[in-house]
Amino acid sequence: MRRRGSSRWQALLWLGPSLALIAAVVAYPVGALVSASLSRYSITGFHQGWAGMGNYRRLLEQAALPTVVATTAVWVTAVVGVTIVISLALAQLLNERFPGRRLVRWALIVPWAASLIMTAKLFVWIYDYYFGILNHVLVSLGLVAAPVDWLGDDATVMGAMVAVGIFVSLPFTTYVLLAGLQAIPGEVYEAARVDGASGWRRYRSITLPLLRPALLVATVLNVIYVFNSFPIVWTLNDRNPGFGHDTMITYMYKIAFKSALRDVGLAAALGVINVLVILLAVLVYLSTVSWREAEA
Amino acid sequence: MVTWRALVRLAVVAIATLAVNACDRRPEAPKTSAGGERSITVVIAEYSKDHTKPFWQALSEHYTKQSGVKVDLRVVDWNSIDQQVSAMVQNNRPPDVLNLNSFSSYAKDHLLYAADEVLSPKTAEDFLEAFARGGRYQGKLYGFPILSSARAFFYNKDLFARAGIPGPPKTWNDFTTAARKIQALGAGTIGYALPLGPEEAQAEWAIWMWNNGGDWKSGDAWAINGERNVQTLRFLADLANRHKVTQVNPGKTNRTDGAFQLFKDGKVGMVIGFSPLAAQLDAEGKVNYGVAEMPTNVGQAVTLGVEDYLMAFKKKDNQGAVKGFLDLYYQPEQITRWISAEGFLPVTKSGLQQMASNPKLKPYLDALPNARLAPTTDPAWDRVKLDVQQTIGLAVQPGGNPKQVLDQLQKNAVAAAGSR
Repeated sequence: MRRRGSSRWQALLWLGPSLALIAAVVAYPVGALVSASLSRYSITGFHQGWAGMGNYRRLLEQAALPTVVATTAVWVTAVVGVTIVISLALAQLLNERFPGRRLVRWALIVPWAASLIMTAKLFVWIYDYYFGILNHVLVSLGLVAAPVDWLGDDATVMGAMVAVGIFVSLPFTTYVLLAGLQAIPGEVYEAARVDGASGWRRYRSITLPLLRPALLVATVLNVIYVFNSFPIVWTLNDRNPGFGHDTMITYMYKIAFKSALRDVGLAAALGVINVLVILLAVLVYLSTVSWREAEA
Repeated sequence: MVTWRALVRLAVVAIATLAVNACDRRPEAPKTSAGGERSITVVIAEYSKDHTKPFWQALSEHYTKQSGVKVDLRVVDWNSIDQQVSAMVQNNRPPDVLNLNSFSSYAKDHLLYAADEVLSPKTAEDFLEAFARGGRYQGKLYGFPILSSARAFFYNKDLFARAGIPGPPKTWNDFTTAARKIQALGAGTIGYALPLGPEEAQAEWAIWMWNNGGDWKSGDAWAINGERNVQTLRFLADLANRHKVTQVNPGKTNRTDGAFQLFKDGKVGMVIGFSPLAAQLDAEGKVNYGVAEMPTNVGQAVTLGVEDYLMAFKKKDNQGAVKGFLDLYYQPEQITRWISAEGFLPVTKSGLQQMASNPKLKPYLDALPNARLAPTTDPAWDRVKLDVQQTIGLAVQPGGNPKQVLDQLQKNAVAAAGSR
């Protein structure tokens, strides 16, 4: 008994620093966020007392909320979905041996290494109606008759943002999947080849199932990153009035500082909901996946 | 089992991402002001990279040498200043001295010292009356004018000559004709660059509104959807959709990276600008431009004057230190040196005397007597401004409804005026 007790203390001693860190950088901010969401603030940020659930009620009354939720759903599914598909192909390519592979692998890291705000600003100029290179190329090639206002036209702004979102998500996703591919032992493929399995069959029956852990990690982490992504949507959408193309993250910022609401309590309420939404989405995804695994 | 472990790991990751976001809310490190007036926090908005920080740094050092009080100087860019100041107030650690474009909401929350508490009488009497009036809340001066600027009408002389237009338009009819002639030059020229995107829509709108005899308020009551204002917004929508003499999607164009950029590129005949735009145009030397009065529909041209403020937050034991700091800034040679360096306009009588001889500033100084200020003395303005920024652009888009947009703005303004 005594030995067990002392080892428990020892464990606590080892865990202490990380527990303290978690308390400081996780528990405290979460507490602060929740308490802000239950408070009433004036426009200056001056604390005026407790609001109970008032902020949450007012949030649900906002006319823009359904649009914002729908935009967020489209944004996350489109960016993560397309990123995964393209990354699967890229990872497969980078897993093959070909001259210059090292160069391509390095090149792929570049969008990842650049700051998101810089990347977004760069794309603002690429998409520009008057000065942008995209319109210049498309018009020169005769693909479009007249320039397109990519970031001002309601029909194209979402697609333009999603494209940038995919561009910056590819490196990380590809590398996760590439690591997954390299972990698959070559013997399995050899055996399949001996059995006469076709290339597509080998991909479907060996590569994809064995890649499942990597796919799982890539999807879940991307869902979290893309949902929480602020700079791209903010920078590419800053010219558009209203909330027609805001995600729940940029909407939260606009509630706090850039709209007539200007209320940090209300924004904190949305912040809490954002965390719950992302946790729920991840849980649902994981439970579906593990359920399929059990069935298979 | 494996999945559950992964799940827990993911939950931790999710919470960690949240924590990264939430970390921004972290309170400021507590100040080491054990003995009362040992140090003050001064938050200044960044007007330019070249001049703002050097000036305030030097002023702070001068002040520390003079008084022994340390200055924690923070120069913050305009994009994040609202957010940073809000966080400071939320955490009950407001700055001692703050520079911003609004003040009345802070005065309403009883956070500020009035002028008679922190300014010497000589300083307070030196303010130009129009700007002192723009800093009063319920009869007392809380927003001390720090600098001012005035908008002016910029036109591209080369494009005017090519289109055969003799000079800058004086009336709205002349303006529309000029815009059509320039647009008709073809090859991508644009008559008028109209920025009604969220960045500064309220400024662009106010200038057109006033030059049609309209206003934000009628007496003490909001009157955003008055007859004249509806007419004005229809006029702007017509420029975009009927005459087609503006750049593409004017309701979704910002000022700095949109309208100004096009004018600097020589593509645009006319734009509303201010002295920093002139400085950029002079530096690039690409566009042969002139500066004139606004075209008007009612006889007397009106322009927008912008006044920014310094304010002092009431905190225990900081009154003396704050007073000393403000008095130092408002010494004529200090304030005038900075305003001249930034290319803005004076807010004091002594400053006006010193700067009147500068030929570059002449068009703006001439416009100053007919400049009107936004209703910053009304705390509801802080919400109305943001509302205008986020909605008025929608009215000039194809299919937009000017009357409906203004009605909604009016309704929200009345609600904001009635709220706590």
